[in-house]
Amino acid sequence: MSAASDAPSTIALIGNPNAGKTTLFNALTGANQRVGNYAGVTVEVKSGETFTPHGRKLHVLDLPGCYSLRANSPDEKVALDALSGQLPGEPKPDIVVSVVDASNLERHLQLTLQIIELGLPCVLALNMVDVAERSGLRLDPAKLSEELGIPVVPMQANAKKGIVELKQALRFPHPVVAEATWITDPTDPESGRRAFISRLCELAARRPEAHQQTLSDRIDSVLLHPLLGWISMLAIFFTVFWAIFSFAQIPMGWISNGQAVLSAWIESLMPDGDLRSLIVDGVIGGVGGVVTFLPQIILLFLFIGLLESSGYMARAAYLMDGVMAKAGLSGKSFLPLFSSYACAIPGIMATRTIDSAKERLVTIFVAPWMSCSARLPVYFLIIPLLLHEKEGTWKQALILFAIYALGTLTAFIVARLLRGRLGEDISPGHFLLELPPYRKPQWSYILRHVLDRALSFVKKAGTIILGLSILLWALSTYPKKPGADEAEALAHSAMGRIGAVIEPVVRPLGFDGRMGTAILTSFAAREVFVSSMAILYRVEQSDDEEQTRNVLRDQLAASKWPDGRPIFTPLALVSLLVFFIYALQCLPTTAVVARESGSWKWAAGQFVFMTGFAYFASLLVFQVGKLIGF
Amino acid sequence: MSPALAADLKIDSAMTLNQAKVGCDMQIRVLSGPGCERLRDLGFCEQLQVRKLAGGRNLICSICGTRMAISRELAEQVLVSPVG
Repeated sequence: MSAASDAPSTIALIGNPNAGKTTLFNALTGANQRVGNYAGVTVEVKSGETFTPHGRKLHVLDLPGCYSLRANSPDEKVALDALSGQLPGEPKPDIVVSVVDASNLERHLQLTLQIIELGLPCVLALNMVDVAERSGLRLDPAKLSEELGIPVVPMQANAKKGIVELKQALRFPHPVVAEATWITDPTDPESGRRAFISRLCELAARRPEAHQQTLSDRIDSVLLHPLLGWISMLAIFFTVFWAIFSFAQIPMGWISNGQAVLSAWIESLMPDGDLRSLIVDGVIGGVGGVVTFLPQIILLFLFIGLLESSGYMARAAYLMDGVMAKAGLSGKSFLPLFSSYACAIPGIMATRTIDSAKERLVTIFVAPWMSCSARLPVYFLIIPLLLHEKEGTWKQALILFAIYALGTLTAFIVARLLRGRLGEDISPGHFLLELPPYRKPQWSYILRHVLDRALSFVKKAGTIILGLSILLWALSTYPKKPGADEAEALAHSAMGRIGAVIEPVVRPLGFDGRMGTAILTSFAAREVFVSSMAILYRVEQSDDEEQTRNVLRDQLAASKWPDGRPIFTPLALVSLLVFFIYALQCLPTTAVVARESGSWKWAAGQFVFMTGFAYFASLLVFQVGKLIGF
Repeated sequence: MSPALAADLKIDSAMTLNQAKVGCDMQIRVLSGPGCERLRDLGFCEQLQVRKLAGGRNLICSICGTRMAISRELAEQVLVSPVG
């Protein structure tokens, strides 16, 4: 065997969006990449390995979907670069596997022909033959192969049917480069392709004559109805939010009980001292306070995965187009912005499917104002304090809703202003979206994706939040002042001194030095605010999480300025809420914005703008509120 | 568009996709305008049959068994004539 044949061949999977490339990639490589039923779930090139039936290694690339070899949006550009070998770190592919949806050959073969014209060896993976045949289409893969001059493999990637046959086609010797016989007139390849495809489909993919009303058509007649569609959409999203908040209560209770048991167990084992204080107050209190929110985050990602996998997300984007247009955006911004309610990072990644570069920049810019799940712990701490109530009343739900609405509304206004300033696109992009057929959710992929998100959250709790909790504990404990009471000891500690320095800056917002310090620590991750407050206000961890928050709230309600006025007046609390709605306190988001917008300036500008906006909005709320006598 | 083709289209009672009635099967005759390359990529090619499923701010059409939502501006660039 020659040396060249020892090196693994590179196989690129390419095809229209939603043709099943990622499902095929997962089936080939055993990877668990995210699969959705929304055009453009894969936005970057993924690579993996597989073996031919003879045991030779193949390097497989999963490319983002594209409709043609003209790059219209950033994800299509990535696919093109990979195909021509211009992607850093990836070799030019030896074989291209063109993945097509068998029920849509007329459209999907366009891309296949363009690949053959490039002179790359090509294999056609005729995917989802089961769906096509069920709809009455009569396929003839042998005829297709004969006419196109390339191997054609009928398959059903989601059921792992046809995988072995595909691997056989990828063996040595590689398939020969087919001739582009359809190009009769080189100045107009378009019409040559079109004529060829219509003849090919006539021969090898006969459609039943009458237009059949599919199940998806019937579902759409309700879900896309001008009136019923809106009612169903509101009902669906209301149910999602309600389910997230109510179902999560049960596992949240388990986590906090577990935490309390752990604290009690350690307290019974160790003598009182600095180390015990570090473990119980610093580590368990700090990390535990944040991990409690894991169930809500899991549920949010689960529902978004379900909506996307079933095919509903594309319908929501269609319905929302008119609303988004009021903010100068389009329906394509809906999915990124909606995902940002869970976390801005996947939301910002999802903007790659937006064709218009300017719309994409604007969407990235405002995405962090969709209140993400990391802000929830802060809201849950403050809202009951504002109302002097126990947790979980309808008034609190109303305030929570108002918080989401305020963030979203401001985001839309800023988006509109910004969109106006950026001007029109050079080539106007128009709203264009494929509405995929409704499918049964692919549970295994959704669950794996949710698990990934949960693990990354736990990892964050175990690294950044753990580190900061320990640091905070140390700063608020040392240097010690022997014989002093708690308040004096804290004022003497490093944290107390930092607080004293920041106090003049945050005082006009109605905050004291400790809140200023807690806000400062929350710039690494917002969730840290709650544990910082617990550490700074010296709250003993008690039996359960809600109890802890209640104790912290009592502590906060009782804290006073040196002249005896209470610190946490309703006005100061509203000012604090406003600050958290607007401030961009998340380093990973800034890093992702810099990468996705391709400019550190844009990311830095966003950070400065949002944080400045938060400061002045809080200042306005507090000072105006004071003037009118609150 | 050549004058001969334009005359042909007139006889065939061609209209834009916006003017077509909801629920009707149409054949695409000509694409003209800045969005046509993008439309062709998505399968809106001459000679193909398209069924308009819904009108409004964005249209929904079924083309080769796929539902697509396209804006009115794009639909304006698709000239169709009734089938049969």
